[in-house]
Amino acid sequence: MMNGEDTDLIAAEYVLGTLPADERAAAALRALKDKSLAEAIDAWSRRLGPLAEAIPPREAPATVWPEIKARIDALEEVLQTPEQTKAKIIGIERRLRQWRGAAIAASALAASLMLFVGYREVVHPPEKTLVAVLQKDAQSPAFLVSVDLETRVLTIRAVAAEPQRGKSYELWLVNDELRTPRSLGIVGDKPFTVVHPQLAGYSPQVIEQATLAVSLEPEGGSPTGAPTGPVLFAGKLIQATK
Amino acid sequence: MLKPTAADLANLLARVAARDREAFAAVYKATSGKLWGIVVRILPRKDIAEDVLQDVYVRIWERAVSFDPAKASPITWMATIARNRAIDEVRRKSPVSIEDAPESLDVEPGDPSPLDNAQTSEDLRRLQECLQGLDAERREIVLLAYYNGLSRDELAKRFSHPVATIKTWLHRSLAQLRKCLGS
Repeated sequence: MMNGEDTDLIAAEYVLGTLPADERAAAALRALKDKSLAEAIDAWSRRLGPLAEAIPPREAPATVWPEIKARIDALEEVLQTPEQTKAKIIGIERRLRQWRGAAIAASALAASLMLFVGYREVVHPPEKTLVAVLQKDAQSPAFLVSVDLETRVLTIRAVAAEPQRGKSYELWLVNDELRTPRSLGIVGDKPFTVVHPQLAGYSPQVIEQATLAVSLEPEGGSPTGAPTGPVLFAGKLIQATK
Repeated sequence: MLKPTAADLANLLARVAARDREAFAAVYKATSGKLWGIVVRILPRKDIAEDVLQDVYVRIWERAVSFDPAKASPITWMATIARNRAIDEVRRKSPVSIEDAPESLDVEPGDPSPLDNAQTSEDLRRLQECLQGLDAERREIVLLAYYNGLSRDELAKRFSHPVATIKTWLHRSLAQLRKCLGS
């Protein structure tokens, strides 16, 4: 485990912005689970935050606001669905919002994604099903994951992630207890991928508490067994059942 | 345009949390210049900076629910979202290529310190005093990282020191700042 001083320096450099991309992504991911790191980041944001006061405003391009409005409209469209459906979506959304760490904040769009690609299994799931929306930010949900804890079958569907030439998407199980991210395999470009043998070795508790992350790796997967490329998408598993 | 106070902005954000679009438009109007100023210093390429600014406001829309006025001022909270998103973007990109240059905005990359002519709050004045305690070069490194989003590698090139030295200096400078601010 990292000691307090390391954690504080990681937090300080995270806030200052000088961590290299991979360390930055790892820190953001770790902060979701590691309260001491999350608090250290908050503290450094408060320490350095006053510097931003000094930055002079510049007029933002006029094209930006209409684009933002259009994106908000798209986000909110999902809430125009019938009441019963809406209540369920909001229930999911509320649970999503409870995830700590705004970096992987949930959104109405994440809920709408469930509506489109897997709504029935989310609302009427078999017992012990976990789901996760893996996203870069709330606007770009890329993968939908469901995990059956009984059978340890994991289903992942690429929704918006585009295949990248000469690169592979690799799925990782991240849990502090495991110390390092564990590969669950390469995510194929077919809409469905099932990876089960890799999950069988982990206890339900470890899986339930895990964050799933997808990094971009050289074709065929990480050569080192640890993520080498940027973590592009991540999400927390949540109970699909009540 | 009448400039909203921090309390006004906090009220507006509370309305944004309830999905009030009028309030959101008012927040944009009051803060977009500031956030754009933050983003373009780190991302001088206009097209990328525009995308990032869009993302920042969509995040503000979504996260207004989690804004806590007891923890941060509204503008500090929004500035943090903007800076984090801009830094994510600038770190994600491979080093800026030559063809990026023509589209760049005229942000002075060599000007590390907007501090010189800033009106300062008590917090900023205190931080400035602590920054004054650092050697000039190390202070400039911290400020270039903060204001222009320079990476350790870029700082190493600019100051002609090994990356490891820059990292050590950053750590020492940050530890010193923390100590100074804590007193």
